[in-house]
Amino acid sequence: MSVYKHAYRAYAGTLTPLWARVGVVVRYGLAEAWSSRITVGLFTLSMLPVIVYLIGIYLANNPVARMIIMHGKSALFTIDAAYFLKVLATQSWIALVMTAWVAPRLVCFDLADNALPILLSHPVSRLGYVLGKFIALFWCLSLITWIPCLLLFAYQCYASTAPWMGANLQVAFGLLAGAVFWIALLSILGLALSSWVKWRVVATGIIFAAVFVPAGVGGIVSAILRTKWGLLLNLPVMMTQLWQRLLGAPEFMRGENSLPDAAIAMVLVLMCLVCVAILNARIRAREVVRG
Amino acid sequence: MSVIELDRLEVRLGGRTVLDGLSGELRGMAIGLLGPNGAGKSTLINTLLGFHEPARGEARVLGLDTRRHRARIRQSVGYMPENDSFIGNMSGVRFVRYMAELAGLPAGEALERAHEALFFVGLGEVRYRNISTYSLGMKQLIKLAQALAHGPRLLILDEPTNGLDPMARRRMLATLQEIRKEGSIRMLISSHLLRDIDETCDEVLILKDGRVAALCNIEEERQSHRNFIEMETTGDRDRFCEALRGLGCECACFAGGHVKLVMPDRIEPRDLYVVASENGTQIRRIHRRRDSLEDIFLRAMDAEPERRELVSL
Repeated sequence: MSVYKHAYRAYAGTLTPLWARVGVVVRYGLAEAWSSRITVGLFTLSMLPVIVYLIGIYLANNPVARMIIMHGKSALFTIDAAYFLKVLATQSWIALVMTAWVAPRLVCFDLADNALPILLSHPVSRLGYVLGKFIALFWCLSLITWIPCLLLFAYQCYASTAPWMGANLQVAFGLLAGAVFWIALLSILGLALSSWVKWRVVATGIIFAAVFVPAGVGGIVSAILRTKWGLLLNLPVMMTQLWQRLLGAPEFMRGENSLPDAAIAMVLVLMCLVCVAILNARIRAREVVRG
Repeated sequence: MSVIELDRLEVRLGGRTVLDGLSGELRGMAIGLLGPNGAGKSTLINTLLGFHEPARGEARVLGLDTRRHRARIRQSVGYMPENDSFIGNMSGVRFVRYMAELAGLPAGEALERAHEALFFVGLGEVRYRNISTYSLGMKQLIKLAQALAHGPRLLILDEPTNGLDPMARRRMLATLQEIRKEGSIRMLISSHLLRDIDETCDEVLILKDGRVAALCNIEEERQSHRNFIEMETTGDRDRFCEALRGLGCECACFAGGHVKLVMPDRIEPRDLYVVASENGTQIRRIHRRRDSLEDIFLRAMDAEPERRELVSL
């Protein structure tokens, strides 16, 4: 005999506060993201560069190990802003791959079977729903970007014999700010583009296309019009310039190809606003059953 | 206590008036929402849930204003939409638990209630299967289970028997009757199937072209026409009818000796036989008929919305 009563009974227990419902969306979003072996695999792969960079820091700070392994050559292992820029850039591009896989999982399953009318008929608003998914994706991306970057920074501070941290606090700030800007943009972009299509594979493709196709178009615009402003469509270049400035690393594009901070900020804000508008339109359109 | 109060409610979508000045108070345990396609049933439900903002007037659910208390209304309501609406790659119990947690139940309670709700609707044995593998009937039931899991005070069901085979339909209606009997949940059931409403509801709101065509208690409406008689006669029918009119009956004659009449309260069926005998008429068959929901619905559809006095309210 079943241990559960088959008769209906009313619920008379306590209720969680309204703001906690966003936490429910986050929790189920994280569970959905990490239920896939591919997500676990991507996370594992994303840790490989971190291990390589960790070994680099270890060798840079350990003359004996350097002597044994590198025969005393230390030029490759100067730990400075440029070194951490490489760490941030590597992890950030892995974050793009992670976004292309995880963001569609968070949204497409809800859209494919038209779950929004039921989800939003509960006391959670459109904003709460999107915020929950955003936090889930942001947290997943945090695990592979600013968290390992700051851990490496902390290890460098610990391993360095010279008083290194005080002189390089800007690097820590740059790592945190640069990664947060990037993963916030990726999260909102990933959710917006995933809400546009029902099929996950298509959504994954669109996310990559949204980053690299405008970059190509920007390159063509720059070449034809002989202007640097085409680079404003080139997200990889724009972000790299932003990271260089935040970390205080030497810029690889100097002079006429260097974009002003205000222009970069404006383009990023504009992208976020467009994504928010897309999300709002798509979710509003699907929140009720059209009969 | 009134379940739903409508006060000159007007809803406009895309520049078109979909609900036009709805007024009324619904108090029944189970309220049927009837109307032809495009009458505004789903729009009314979506307005009650706070998805659509009224352009004019107001609506209250369980005493809460739909504009100001959207979250509290959604807390107190369980909603089962008309179309497929679920997360296919989740197991039944996980989906219902998720919805219960969104409604405000703590995680442990939500899991317990999810199991209970699934057993209650008859999905206990398949609760660990992914919803995408469910049949159409099961998908309807999982929507009902998620609407019930958090113990709502009002259950809004949009076409609950849509697409069900006769047996699944019977099971769904039996479940709804059981919920109604339990007594802690009010129900608002939207359907275009009159029999479903007839079997489950005690009050009905009929919409036509976005307006209230009828709002009545089904049982009272039936009772008010308890003296409706159909007869099959032979002999001098015209004289017989004339005599019946003399007694105060409203009488109509049809071909083949068919006579329909509404008797005043003081007249008994026995008197009809006496009058027939006095006028040389034989009554071959007599049938005392109760008003069906179909009669109520058809009268409402025939009546002009502006002239609501034609409909018994």
